[in-house]
Amino acid sequence: MDYEAQLKLQAYLDGELPEGEAKEVANWLARDQEAVALLGELRQTRKALAGFEDGVRLPEAREFYWSKIEREIERLDVKREEPVGVPFSVKLRRILMPASAVALVALIGMIVSKEILPSGSAYSTETSFRDSESFTYHDYAEGTTLVWLPYPAENDVADEKEPSTLE
Amino acid sequence: MDGWETVEPMTENAHSSAEDPALVKAAQKGDMTAFEELVVRHRDKIYARAYSMMRNEEEAIDLSQEAWVKGWQRLKQFQGDSSFGTWMTRIIINLCLDQLRKQKRQRTESIEELDEASGGVERQMPVVTVNPTAGLERGELRQKIDRALSQLSNEHRTALILHEFEEMEYKEIAKVMGCSIGTVMSRLFYARRKMAVLLADLRKQE
Repeated sequence: MDYEAQLKLQAYLDGELPEGEAKEVANWLARDQEAVALLGELRQTRKALAGFEDGVRLPEAREFYWSKIEREIERLDVKREEPVGVPFSVKLRRILMPASAVALVALIGMIVSKEILPSGSAYSTETSFRDSESFTYHDYAEGTTLVWLPYPAENDVADEKEPSTLE
Repeated sequence: MDGWETVEPMTENAHSSAEDPALVKAAQKGDMTAFEELVVRHRDKIYARAYSMMRNEEEAIDLSQEAWVKGWQRLKQFQGDSSFGTWMTRIIINLCLDQLRKQKRQRTESIEELDEASGGVERQMPVVTVNPTAGLERGELRQKIDRALSQLSNEHRTALILHEFEEMEYKEIAKVMGCSIGTVMSRLFYARRKMAVLLADLRKQE
């Protein structure tokens, strides 16, 4: 019996053959004892395996087994609920706070320097603000104002408590 | 669960007396105790399938627990086309197949795989005419089958399990295992013949 015939016999047992081919195999079985023996062996193995898993029991206590599943589900649910990142409004506030401070310091610097020096003066002025540790330089001849600020800006502090200068 | 409506959980008595579909419905609405009841009902079957495929108790427990977690996460996708038990069984089968594939990448080919590739020794195996399981107690028979299954390669054992225990058709097995129907037939034939010989040998050893 060749290999193809053996596989066909198996397909016959498994009900995988079309009706016509199944009839052919049935006729072949009627006259070939070797085929009958092989079919018998395949059938026995199949029978032996039937219901094998029915008697298998989980070797762990119910509470212990479930608690691990429950913990993992809760862990994944919590993970899913966590925010992906900092909300945009908070990010925007963190950028705008120091930017406003810079603009305010520059404005104060310009006002102060205008009051101290006469218009059209060729002098330059330097002003420092101890509170904010900023420093302003104004060159009247060039019409240039430069402001130095300490860096990095303390954004988190700005978030928690707004400085009095911004009120 | 994300976006799930809050529900009044069922009582413990209601859980134990409820049918699977009712428990699934409750669990789909976020009732964790309903899901626990489903786990209690089907855990042996899910573990048994994992153990049949993996042949390792610890691995089977871990994978079965992972399957339940996945089941909870995908519960909303369960439409009830099949039974809940069948749906969960497919999840564990896929997890086991993934695990076996990972393991395969890490090991060399077994002798049995070489046999299969070189034409198969099953063609020359003499037919086992005496029933090697006749007269055995169910427990004894289970032990023998357990030992015989352990001696098959992962591929042969998987084909056999999917056909005999999961009652999948050839084309379904081919799809799940990612091979041709011809390969499924060859693997199944080899696995069956090898099992017959192994069971006969185990009987002789007594």
